[in-house]
Amino acid sequence: MSIILHVDFNSFFASVEQQANPFLRGKPIAITGKRGIKDMKRSIVATASIEAKRLGVKTPMPVMEAKRICPELILLPGDMRKYSEITDRMLRVLRENSDKIEQFSTDEAFADITSIAQDYFGATIIAQIIRNQIAQACGELCSVSIGVGPSKTIAKLASGETKPNGLTIVQPSEVISYLDKKPLEDVCGIGRATIKHLESIGISSFQTLRMASMKKLVHEFKPITGMWLYNIARGIEHDGVNDSQEDPKSIGHSYTFAHDLEFDAEIKTNLLSIADTVALRLRKMKFKAGHISLLVRYNDFSSNHIGIKLTNSVNDGLSIYKYASQLLNKVRDINKPIRLLGISTSQFSNLEKPVSLFLKDQKMQSALCAQDCILEKFGNRALCRAATISSVFQERASGWHYDHQL
Amino acid sequence: MHQYLNDPIDVSVDFTNQRVRPHTVCWDNQMYKIKKVNLVHNTNEDGQHIFYFSVSDDANFMKLRLNTQNLEWRLVELYTD
Repeated sequence: MSIILHVDFNSFFASVEQQANPFLRGKPIAITGKRGIKDMKRSIVATASIEAKRLGVKTPMPVMEAKRICPELILLPGDMRKYSEITDRMLRVLRENSDKIEQFSTDEAFADITSIAQDYFGATIIAQIIRNQIAQACGELCSVSIGVGPSKTIAKLASGETKPNGLTIVQPSEVISYLDKKPLEDVCGIGRATIKHLESIGISSFQTLRMASMKKLVHEFKPITGMWLYNIARGIEHDGVNDSQEDPKSIGHSYTFAHDLEFDAEIKTNLLSIADTVALRLRKMKFKAGHISLLVRYNDFSSNHIGIKLTNSVNDGLSIYKYASQLLNKVRDINKPIRLLGISTSQFSNLEKPVSLFLKDQKMQSALCAQDCILEKFGNRALCRAATISSVFQERASGWHYDHQL
Repeated sequence: MHQYLNDPIDVSVDFTNQRVRPHTVCWDNQMYKIKKVNLVHNTNEDGQHIFYFSVSDDANFMKLRLNTQNLEWRLVELYTD
């Protein structure tokens, strides 16, 4: 049986800032997505320090609300490059102390320590070594909570047990009793919609979930989710630590602007800039997209989402922009200023297709290759369209990616 | 008070164990003796290798930027309680 370890930084971005700046230690601080007081007010709290959480600040909470709850809250813009290096250091420590690792987000990762630890006594020692080495590599303030268990789900659940700086071990014989003490929503993968569905069929705890037959769960939730729920209630999980990176199913970029966009010119400029960002990512992954979707969110938080299947797959910013622009014209409510725009691409095909017969397409491909080489060497802002020069997006972290690494 | 700056500065450094440790910062005609290096991180900015040193004395936090291409130091953040 596997021994899986889950590492989770405590209040990650805030802890890194408190590590860097000792005058922030012991104070309620929050990391926001934007720089400048005016922009920060439109942003959300990405991470709150332990002190801020104690005063009621939660993530993701609008900055204005957080300030109302905690007027002394210190707001800081995120420094993604600093955080990405700390993520790398944590992953390096895990890699040195385990057989396989799987990054789960910017501040979380799983490690398979089965052969190194051998048993749960060994796992306890390995966990403490990892915690000490992370503190040494990242700084004392960048503390982690660690959970160890026979599966990823149990290890993740255990790491959330004691925060900050906790270490919780759940041995295989304790799994069922441990699960029974937890509400269903604590398990990663059981979201609000699943909870609602489960409650509608009389399931509100792991005990009642175990009473449901596999046939019933498969009927209610379709085979994959139904079987997963059936197994997870029994502490069974077949999904081990996966250290191979799978190809993404979609590549996109969305951005909340510093001010709401009202004028066509600024909407087009920003849409083109987003399209270029998505196109660059596609080319880096050597993909062409066969589907484009657009998300528009207005200043009243209502939104439109629309997609289009393409006859010819694309990977250049201008083509993506043209399709996105068509979609925008179709759905846009011109009476409402735009708060956020996002383009997402999917249904990828590999770039290594026959070269187009048309000279214009061939020239475009070689121009894009040259552009990518320049950007690779001199950074993503080294070359841009004159039309998008005024559109600068602030770097962010999303999921397990940092914008500047994409 | 937290300020974001981009001021050129003079920095004296120690070289120990193959590491650079900022020792004194001269900014705005004043000398600041660094008491602690709290965090060092590096990044690639527009093809240039940049080191950031988050340092402090008893009253100030400073974020120093070292451009390894032209060896230029800048003060990019200042936090005073």
